[in-house]
Amino acid sequence: MIKYLVRRALGWLLMIVVATNVTYFLAWSFLDPRSNYVGRKPPLTPEQIEGLLGPRNLSETTPLIERWWTWFSGIIFRWDWGMSPTGGSVNSEIAYRMWVSAELVLGATVIATILGIWIGTYTASRQYKLGDRVWQAVSIVTMNINIIVAGLAIVILAINFNNWVGTRVFYVTGSSSEGVTGFFPVLIDTLQHLVLPTIALVLISYAGTHFLQRSLLLDNINADYVRTARAKGLTKPQAVRKHALRTSLIPVATQVAFSIPAIFTGGILTETIFAWQGMGRYFLTTINNNDVHGVVAVAAFGAALTAIGAILADIAVVVLDPRVRVS
Amino acid sequence: MSTNMIDPTVQPPVGPDTTAERIPTKQLSKWTLYTRRFMRNKPAVGGIVIFVVLALCSIIVPLVSPYGVSDMDFLNLSTGPSAEHWFGTNASGNDTFTQTFVGLQRSLMIALIVSFGVTAISAIVGTAAAYFGGRIERVTLVIIHFFMVVPTFLILALVSNDSGGDWRVISLALVFTGWFFPARVIWTMALSLREREYIDAARYMGVPGMRIVIRHLLPNIGSLLVINFTLGVVAAVGTETGLSFIGMGVKIPDVSLGSLIGEGAASVTSAPWLFYFPAAALTLLTVSMALIADGLRDALDPTSSAGGRA
Repeated sequence: MIKYLVRRALGWLLMIVVATNVTYFLAWSFLDPRSNYVGRKPPLTPEQIEGLLGPRNLSETTPLIERWWTWFSGIIFRWDWGMSPTGGSVNSEIAYRMWVSAELVLGATVIATILGIWIGTYTASRQYKLGDRVWQAVSIVTMNINIIVAGLAIVILAINFNNWVGTRVFYVTGSSSEGVTGFFPVLIDTLQHLVLPTIALVLISYAGTHFLQRSLLLDNINADYVRTARAKGLTKPQAVRKHALRTSLIPVATQVAFSIPAIFTGGILTETIFAWQGMGRYFLTTINNNDVHGVVAVAAFGAALTAIGAILADIAVVVLDPRVRVS
Repeated sequence: MSTNMIDPTVQPPVGPDTTAERIPTKQLSKWTLYTRRFMRNKPAVGGIVIFVVLALCSIIVPLVSPYGVSDMDFLNLSTGPSAEHWFGTNASGNDTFTQTFVGLQRSLMIALIVSFGVTAISAIVGTAAAYFGGRIERVTLVIIHFFMVVPTFLILALVSNDSGGDWRVISLALVFTGWFFPARVIWTMALSLREREYIDAARYMGVPGMRIVIRHLLPNIGSLLVINFTLGVVAAVGTETGLSFIGMGVKIPDVSLGSLIGEGAASVTSAPWLFYFPAAALTLLTVSMALIADGLRDALDPTSSAGGRA
């Protein structure tokens, strides 16, 4: 089982490396770091610009393949992701933004998955009854509300709520307040900032899991082995939980893994709405500043999240499906 | 079976098609059957009504509105909804009513083109991979998985930012980055189809591979493609809106729902109407499309009993 997971992880690592390198070349064909210095007052001479870009490995007078090798070997040997055109280190930018984003994306993924599975199981056990119909209607609407609309609507509601209560319960901008110290104050402050964007992400992403879980469970709920389990004296909820649910969780795990990139994209928009200094905002800044190294680092982070999701799904499959353990 | 294969829209998905076979006059009654099943799904009918109204408005309003999309009314800067400006105006004095429907038209056009392109490409790639099998199948799957790792939103942002917000370039980029996930779904569907007798029969009769894919495999996943198309519209609207919202999609003087909502977001407390109306149009559009897709699934799936007995 360990061997199987290691093999899968290596496969994903290879994919990330290839994808990141492809993004590097793509980024160079769309972005031009030199344009950051053109039109400055007082104007810089071409030699001065060269003197700024050259040491940062961002000058296109160096052949692309040479630039690529300097960049790539920097990552491999020194874990150095390069510098932005204005001189900041990509590593130090990513170091804290990564956690800000991961906090949001992974938290929302976990909550949305658990909620989706729970609602899916609940509705499948009550097919075409009132509870099923109501959740079906709710999920169709929430799933197809745009993340931007959902986010802004939540902002409006939260502002109204804050005004109504007369104190700031929810923060609609930023990921943390300045000058908060101590374990519990920091925890409460983080939650106050985290709750709204998380609700927005969960709201639009749980329904996918709900529908898949419901239809898979319906395929299994009348299967012979579930009936056998009931014949042996289990109640219907027990039989569903212990037997049918286990089989139907496997495709759900796969879908969740592949939905992480979508949640990451949703994260970019959510971070823009809620003014979080995470990878999403960094992504926009780097594109606008022609920051090739920064763009590629964001792409690598996105790919890594996908791979983490996929590996977690693989682990879930191994845990749930005994046949994988044998092979 | 042979007559059904020509028309991709009338064939239910994999599985025995007993309900339809019992009706004596074939082509017409099949349509009647689907319509009747669809009409029984009240939310789906509501979805169609909303969608048609939105689409008609997006065509008619820009033609009859007294204000052009970039006309500025300097007597009404950032004023709320009134008899003169039904949806209010923005800070430059543009009429929000006109802008909302022009934006809707642009978003809708991008979405329909993109969804059509994505459905066509993913259908052919997915079924061809399943039919030919072997090395072609493996290579296709590796390509698909590879694209899933590359953050497509980033590629989209780079391409459309580079194009200066040209909606045709955005549409092309959306097609290119949108086809692989649907292709993977269609591939799994087509896997079971390739084992069918009529495929063998066609092969033994010497029909070339690509023609089997187009004439025999594709029509038999027709209903899936119809549903994919409607859901693809929702997805394309969403991505286009996201890009325009962060300022990397459709740009001024062109407007789309996303760019309008992006503008409205900046003044959501001081001039909320700039957000409410485009947001309502967007939500109505995506939710109505999803309801239609749901109704189509019930109507086209012979095993579904959600729509009652046909």
